[in-house]
Amino acid sequence: MSSNGGTGNVFEMGGSENMLHEAQDLNMAKETGSATVRAKQPEAAKQPEATQQSESAQVIEAAQARLAGMTGKRYWRSVDELAGTPEFEQALQREFPQHASEWVDPVSRRGFMKLMGASLALAGLTGCTKQPEEPIYPYVKQPEDLVLGKPVYFATAHPFPMGSVPLLVKSEAYRPIKVDGNPEHPMNHGTTDAYTQGTLLGLYDPDRSQRVLYRGENRQYANFLTDFSAMLSASSANGGESLYFLSGTVVSPTLAAQWKQAQQTYPKAKWVQYDAVNRDSARAASKAAFGEYVDAQYKLDVADIVLSLDADFLSGLWHPGFLKLAGDYAKRRKLDPGVTMNRLYVTESTPTTTGFKADHRLSLRASQMEGFAAALAAALGVGSAPAGYAWTPAQTAFLAAVAKDLKANAGKSVVIPGEQASPAVHLAAIAINQALGNVGKTVVYTETIAPMPTEQTAEIRQLADDLRAGKVDWLVILDSNPVYSAPADIEFKKALGHAKVVVHLGLYPDETAQMADWHINGAHYLEMWSDVRAYDGTVSIVQPMIDPLYGGKSAHEIVQAMLTSPDLSAYEAVRATWKPALSAKGDFDFQWRKALHDGWIADTAFAPKTAPAKIAAIPVAAAPDATAMEVIFRPDPTIYDGRYSNLGWMQELPKPVTNLSWDNAALMSIQMLSSLQAVEGDVIEITVQGRKIKAPALVVPGHPDQSISVYLGYGRRNAGRVGTGTGFDASPIRLASAQLFATGATARRTGDIYEFAITKSHYIDHRDAIARTYGDIEAAKTFKPDAAPTSLEANEAQSRGIIRYATLEEFRKNPNFAHEGENYATPSKDVTLFPNWKYNENAWALTIDMNSCTGCNACIVSCYAENNIAVVGKEEVRIGRDMQWIRIDTYFEGDLNAPRAHFQPMTCQQCENAPCEQVCPVGATVHTPEGLNAMVYNRCVGTRYCSNNCPYKVRRFNWLLFSDYETESLKLMRNPDVTVRSRGVMEKCTYCVQRISAAKIRADKENRDVRDGEIVTACQQACPTQAITFGNKNDKKSRVAQLKAQSRNYTVLADENTRPRTSYIAGVINPNPDLMENA
Amino acid sequence: MAQIFDRSSNSLARISLVLSGIIVISLGVTLNYLQRSPWVTRQGQRADQPVPFSHRHHVQGLGLQCQYCHTSVEKSSYAGIPPTKTCINCHAQIWTNADLLAPVRNSWATGQSVVWTKVHDLPDYVYFNHSVHVNKGIGCSSCHGRVDEMPLMYQENTLQMEWCLNCHRNPAKNLRPTSQIYQMAWQGPSSSAPVWCASKDVPGVPTAQTVNCTLKDPASNGAQLAALEIPSLAGTYQVATASAGSGAVSLPAAAALHYTKFTDQDALGKYLIVQYHIRPPHELTSCDTCHR
Repeated sequence: MSSNGGTGNVFEMGGSENMLHEAQDLNMAKETGSATVRAKQPEAAKQPEATQQSESAQVIEAAQARLAGMTGKRYWRSVDELAGTPEFEQALQREFPQHASEWVDPVSRRGFMKLMGASLALAGLTGCTKQPEEPIYPYVKQPEDLVLGKPVYFATAHPFPMGSVPLLVKSEAYRPIKVDGNPEHPMNHGTTDAYTQGTLLGLYDPDRSQRVLYRGENRQYANFLTDFSAMLSASSANGGESLYFLSGTVVSPTLAAQWKQAQQTYPKAKWVQYDAVNRDSARAASKAAFGEYVDAQYKLDVADIVLSLDADFLSGLWHPGFLKLAGDYAKRRKLDPGVTMNRLYVTESTPTTTGFKADHRLSLRASQMEGFAAALAAALGVGSAPAGYAWTPAQTAFLAAVAKDLKANAGKSVVIPGEQASPAVHLAAIAINQALGNVGKTVVYTETIAPMPTEQTAEIRQLADDLRAGKVDWLVILDSNPVYSAPADIEFKKALGHAKVVVHLGLYPDETAQMADWHINGAHYLEMWSDVRAYDGTVSIVQPMIDPLYGGKSAHEIVQAMLTSPDLSAYEAVRATWKPALSAKGDFDFQWRKALHDGWIADTAFAPKTAPAKIAAIPVAAAPDATAMEVIFRPDPTIYDGRYSNLGWMQELPKPVTNLSWDNAALMSIQMLSSLQAVEGDVIEITVQGRKIKAPALVVPGHPDQSISVYLGYGRRNAGRVGTGTGFDASPIRLASAQLFATGATARRTGDIYEFAITKSHYIDHRDAIARTYGDIEAAKTFKPDAAPTSLEANEAQSRGIIRYATLEEFRKNPNFAHEGENYATPSKDVTLFPNWKYNENAWALTIDMNSCTGCNACIVSCYAENNIAVVGKEEVRIGRDMQWIRIDTYFEGDLNAPRAHFQPMTCQQCENAPCEQVCPVGATVHTPEGLNAMVYNRCVGTRYCSNNCPYKVRRFNWLLFSDYETESLKLMRNPDVTVRSRGVMEKCTYCVQRISAAKIRADKENRDVRDGEIVTACQQACPTQAITFGNKNDKKSRVAQLKAQSRNYTVLADENTRPRTSYIAGVINPNPDLMENA
Repeated sequence: MAQIFDRSSNSLARISLVLSGIIVISLGVTLNYLQRSPWVTRQGQRADQPVPFSHRHHVQGLGLQCQYCHTSVEKSSYAGIPPTKTCINCHAQIWTNADLLAPVRNSWATGQSVVWTKVHDLPDYVYFNHSVHVNKGIGCSSCHGRVDEMPLMYQENTLQMEWCLNCHRNPAKNLRPTSQIYQMAWQGPSSSAPVWCASKDVPGVPTAQTVNCTLKDPASNGAQLAALEIPSLAGTYQVATASAGSGAVSLPAAAALHYTKFTDQDALGKYLIVQYHIRPPHELTSCDTCHR
């Protein structure tokens, strides 16, 4: 090479680099100038409304035009992408999201350089220093059964208002460090959900309330007891007339028993239950149909046809029995020999993963749900069709097809009403199930698992009235936050001022605690004794994993203080509750220990009730005004009703379907957005009966028109350092009369713009277009392979077979469908510069069943806990620095308004021919002889070449010191078997190498091979549908090898010759032929 | 114009070139030695401890077995530091007033730990597991040295990665029979002190039970061997039981043991690698063996 040429090149490169820096500086200046304004399109905010409208209209038109021209399958991941907007094209050109390479902390670039200089100078010295001396603190008296370094597992249960989750908690030196399902429990078989996984962080949350307060001053619990007993002795004369208790849904039979006992002395005292997300509809309907409160238990393992009426039973714990239902649903979708596939119909008012997993999904407005349910009941011979409802041809066809299918499968079908659907929908479901003869087969009705079932909204309204009437002297609030969550129109916060003394027991010094006279720091469920019932009524004892970290108290102790033996511990109280039942089985102490060990008390499941439902008529509301706007209230998929809002894991967790993290949004269809003359991120003002909230708009494909969905739980004012101030509070427009959805709302664009942190479009890259235009970026921008749109990740979903699926019929005709298509070819193993390694012994591999995965997020949170993954915060997520090792890619397909969606968990594929390894200059990412793509953190110098070269974009870089090295309580939570990563280090999924190592050591000591199923990855362990399978693919008998031998097994981007160890089992859907013809 | 630089500048320039070369090299050499030096590795240093505990006195002098204190060495990644209770077991009876033991008595009285300083301190990103080493024929003294001769505990080896890899690349040179794990004075076999080993060849039993090794010639010293180490122990045999007169007791049939004599470590090591199912070097040196 001539020196001239070389110099010239260098100059050119230097020049372009400078330009790049200038551009970045400009962007930075924009951003620092107006932090709330989107840097991406700051001028858009100032444009007049007409332009706005035309812009969003153009987007829709372009998107629809693109879809219209398509034949066959067509995947897309965001509306921008579908339309091919300039922003998306711009994003496409970047390897990383906008500003991903920039410093966003409030430190200037100059300041950063100074710091860097100083740390570089120090680095020269620190390189030679030695480790600091470390102390050892041995026990004084070591517990006999403790082997340090060996975890111990204890059974307990997570109390949750919708039904508990039986657990087996991993305890390291008696510190709970991982919460997982109880593998032997018949209700969940070891699976958990995202909330339950997240509660571990709740235990160690540094913002938990740590002391007893009286009007803001430190007190002892004994001081409270003195006051409390003085009040009690004074009020025992009048039967506790002015004593009120308010709690969330009571789930503990012992607490109910304690209260019953207390009522003997204080017969006039009242106990009110209120949760913002409650089961009022189900309660009201069961009272109307059966004359008493009952719970419905659905048995999806024997149901061939499932219809969900707004029931989101595949997404999370907010639907009772989620783990059981999702597990049973998935069992019928795995195409195991001898198991017929079920068919799922879903009608829903807000898009959920349940809807997108359905074989047929119908988007209905919330107000139409009753009418639809009643019309379906009429079609099945129950009652008459409601008058006044006008159905579209698609809706009519759907209804007819469902009715026909249900009728044909009478006794083997089931209709599930949603907890957020109105009582009429529940009544219709009860009537339909009864008419079809499903009762006793696919659905049984039992006693309620909540021991004190009530209709909560009416109760809290009464409480507020009593408060205002001055009837309440003492109000004891137990594990509830009504100041935040009570319906807006009962003005609970103001009413609370009328009580003489307000006592609040809770985990956090929250909104209610601020208003209370006494605040008692509560015990976390991992710190206390209690009891709960699972979906089928089976009792689990909640046993403490650790002494209360801050001496917290539970509701049991407060209520016990009213009884004749006020000092009886919760432990004794729980034992006393179950003594009769356990003694009947034999020696009580033995049976008690067995119950604790097993995690449940055998034979405590409820017997089905046999009395038939008597439904006079389904009270269907009048047909809604088609132009009236609705607001639908839903529990948040990650923070529920706000109780998990201070958990960083849950806040950062991208919500299913929207991939929105750290916020809630006004979710709507693109037509709705267009009619508001807004674009995504515009703040809109929603007014319901004169009450207003402001919420940023976000489009969800498949959302019904003229309605907006909002998630509860955000906009907390006293949640803690993480949760305070995230999102907006939807409760001001949630009235006691309209807890499920409100009609007659209005909305308008305010002109403000809000920044979302959405993880969806971060993983777009331009690999294919660039490659196929021979590296010319300009050409790549306009490149249209086969007249298809520009190469996008989603386009590749089709063209390169990232998502592969077929209908059941197609699959039967052609079992090999997953391998037939253009660009599905895998290069020969010999096409490599490197000699192929022979994997003679273990070859770890993973399969993910696309049919089973419902995109519920449990795996992500499980991975957080297992692998000490850091939380980065909204600003960092926004620029694509989130650290989750596993993400769930959502691919939409087809019609913008009625799309199908595919959920694909994407994590390190552990390529045998890994592109990342070849570019690491320091050998920090290397291959192990068992085929793991190992990451050696202490070697990594942070060049990020590996991430650049990763086709799956699954590597995560510690741009800053994301791990919390300071907070003491969080140190207790960490998994000691996994390194806590520092700044400047790349990390990624390891297939839980710590678990592999532990199993190998165990096997080596016993001179045997690792058994199949002995190693379970954290994601696999949590998965409610058992979609993930890990094992040794060299062992032909292993489950993973058998799954990989299936014809539906495929690898993603196999044409890259990466030879991934992770493979996917292609989806098979089971559509109704009647509806397919109509489509 | 006069020359700015004198002719001697040429030599100066040359010398400085050479000198800077030497400085760079010597700096490199120094740093290399420095980072392997005891100053960095703490090899051989005796840390200040609250109690000057003598392993020599307790192990060599009193004959305490390692596991009396380090209870979990065969079961867990940690060998275990004894709780104060372990000290008090004896020191409630002897040396009850010794000044040196004041911190121990204090701990026992107050319930606060005796705070020791860690002597063998691996970096936090290294995951060492005692149990697998002890179960697979690596004795305590292979890494910790002659602890029985240490009045004050110190680190015998560098514990640096190259030291670990030395053995992981060639474990044969340090393997010993599992019966000799806690034998501090183990030297390896020699012609003057041979080792006889016999494989029991029973699949799927823990490593310690797969091989019988003895330091006494099984042919000539049969009488001194434990019953199960006796060669050709086939069939049943008679033992006198406590309840004399009840007759013969049938013991499970033990396979005939065929002993091999080893006189050098290399041969023994290779034999034990096979018998103990030690993973091959490429697996033992894989990054994920120690890093997670």
